Amino acid sequence: MIEVRNLTKTFKLNRRQRREKGKSSIDAVSDVGFICRPGRVFTLLGPNGAGKTTTLRIIATMMRPTSGSVSVNGFDVAKQSRQVRSCLGFLTGATRLYDRLTPYEVIEYYGRLFEMEPEILKTRRDRLFEMLDITPFAKQRIGKLSTGMKQKVSIVRTIIHDPQVVVFDEPTSGLDVVTSRNIIKLIRECREEGKTVIFSTHIMGEVSMLSDDLAIIHDGRLLYSGTYSEFKDKMQARSLEDEFIRLVEEE
Amino acid sequence: MKTALIVFRKELLDTVRDRRTIVAMVVVPLLLFPLLFTIMGSVMSAQEKKEEEKRLAVALVDRGNAQAFGQALGELEGFDLRLDLSSASDEELQELLRQEELDGAYVFDQDFDVQVEALKAGRVRLYYKSTEGDDSIARRRLLEPLEDFEQRLLTQRFQRLELDQAIVEAVDAQESNVASSQEIVGTLLGGVLPYFFVIFCFTGCMQPAIDLGAGEKERGTLETLLASPAGRLQILAGKFGVIVLTGLLAAMVSMLGLYVGFRRAGQLPEKVSEGVQRILGLESILMIFSLLVPLTVFLGGVMLSLSLFAKSFKEAQSTISPLMVVVIVPAFVGMLPGVELSATTALIPILNVSLAAKNIMSGEMSTWLLAETYASLAVLAIASLAFTARWFDRESVIFR
Repeated sequence: MIEVRNLTKTFKLNRRQRREKGKSSIDAVSDVGFICRPGRVFTLLGPNGAGKTTTLRIIATMMRPTSGSVSVNGFDVAKQSRQVRSCLGFLTGATRLYDRLTPYEVIEYYGRLFEMEPEILKTRRDRLFEMLDITPFAKQRIGKLSTGMKQKVSIVRTIIHDPQVVVFDEPTSGLDVVTSRNIIKLIRECREEGKTVIFSTHIMGEVSMLSDDLAIIHDGRLLYSGTYSEFKDKMQARSLEDEFIRLVEEE
Repeated sequence: MKTALIVFRKELLDTVRDRRTIVAMVVVPLLLFPLLFTIMGSVMSAQEKKEEEKRLAVALVDRGNAQAFGQALGELEGFDLRLDLSSASDEELQELLRQEELDGAYVFDQDFDVQVEALKAGRVRLYYKSTEGDDSIARRRLLEPLEDFEQRLLTQRFQRLELDQAIVEAVDAQESNVASSQEIVGTLLGGVLPYFFVIFCFTGCMQPAIDLGAGEKERGTLETLLASPAGRLQILAGKFGVIVLTGLLAAMVSMLGLYVGFRRAGQLPEKVSEGVQRILGLESILMIFSLLVPLTVFLGGVMLSLSLFAKSFKEAQSTISPLMVVVIVPAFVGMLPGVELSATTALIPILNVSLAAKNIMSGEMSTWLLAETYASLAVLAIASLAFTARWFDRESVIFR
């Protein structure tokens, strides 16, 4: 479970930005709160620069909150960051892999970083490689693989340690339809396995396909947070896209 | 520690598979010295041979004097006597020399024979063109016939005066240089070699530092690494270890290359060969190496910090590459004659390594100055490590 309470993240601006914006700092995320529950997919919907990535980076302990609190499976991200990371999987669409290593070596590396027992690591790796059809190219250098093959390896890297919480930051961004479908499938499987899933997107189609819970974020502030079904019921516009634009413009 | 080792092993594997790093770390340092020695040796000996075998076009303006010299010159191998210039003026001869139509000109004074007959010195002007000063082969070859001629005149004088030629030698100077072979070779090479070791340390660190910092940021893999249970300090320790190791390996390989280069250089004078053996002995190598360790840590820290700050691989390259100048200047100053390790220079990074290595090579090391050098390098290395650790912990650096 992920609990985000009154989260604010402030960035100091550099000299040029201070001149342009007329202020010394900016709130990338401002007083945001939501809860992501196990076995459900929580979608963070917002345009570019809305604060989605910052929120997810705080959840993944890469950034510290300026104020407010975030806990993952009961561990505080600021005080128990190592425990948080141990139960977390993280994937973005922009993430690439190490071109000079093989899929086998990359997964071995992350498995060891997650302190997996060698036997468990081997069993789980072999099973995931079989499932995603990675075995035939498992010993080839990643630099020589296709985008689709690389994305499959990225998926295994994200879930090799069987995390209870999985964070997807715009996971299909820049990917082709076939590769994106693998990601969508992975998100669904994570939900079926009872994992807590949070993913950010600006693609409306993915929201309707995957969301159990939804938060709409704009300029660092939440415009909506609740279940997706409630959101649909209360929609004033005809489509999700129109409703999203209406909310943003109203704000 | 265990996690840092996991990161270290992965980064090392990734690094040794990078062709650019292997070239900078192994190929260039290993081949540079053997190639340098081979090329320099063959170019120099070819040039010398060419100079020795070149036919010298010479003019002789004797004004009726020194007939024996003219005769001897005309019979000498390797000389083309330009008879058409036997009455040329000094200005004409100098102009022909400047235009390189002539290699040398002997101009005897009008009263040369009269002076010699009166047991005085007859004057001869020798004109030549050389940019190499007094060491040129052409000058030596032009002087030889004159010296032979003078010797012949002296012998005639001693015979005429019925004197033993040995009476003009009042002092029999017997030279003996007490400098050890290590000192001679150390002074000869001591200035140059540390310069190369420092440069190789730098180039050995550079590629991995860029790849493991900015490269990982650009690939987006740094984010996934930061989302793993590995702490930032552990990640940094693993990366740092690889950068320092590659820098030191590059320096070590360059030492190996130097040894191979000397071995391949062929016939060296006994004293030089002995000196080289001592310089490349285990003790000297270990001492120089121990100086390079803190220096590499310092350089590695600076480079990794800059690399982590850069947004892309290219930006890191363009930021770190100019640093080479900052490294070269003090290393080069260490090569200059007269610059010695002192209480002040022992505090100047890079220069102190260069000078201390020079002293180690020539076997003239002061324990206190060496200790000061180690201490100042250790302080820098620790400061560099601490700064990099803090730098890596800053969000504004990682997510710039």
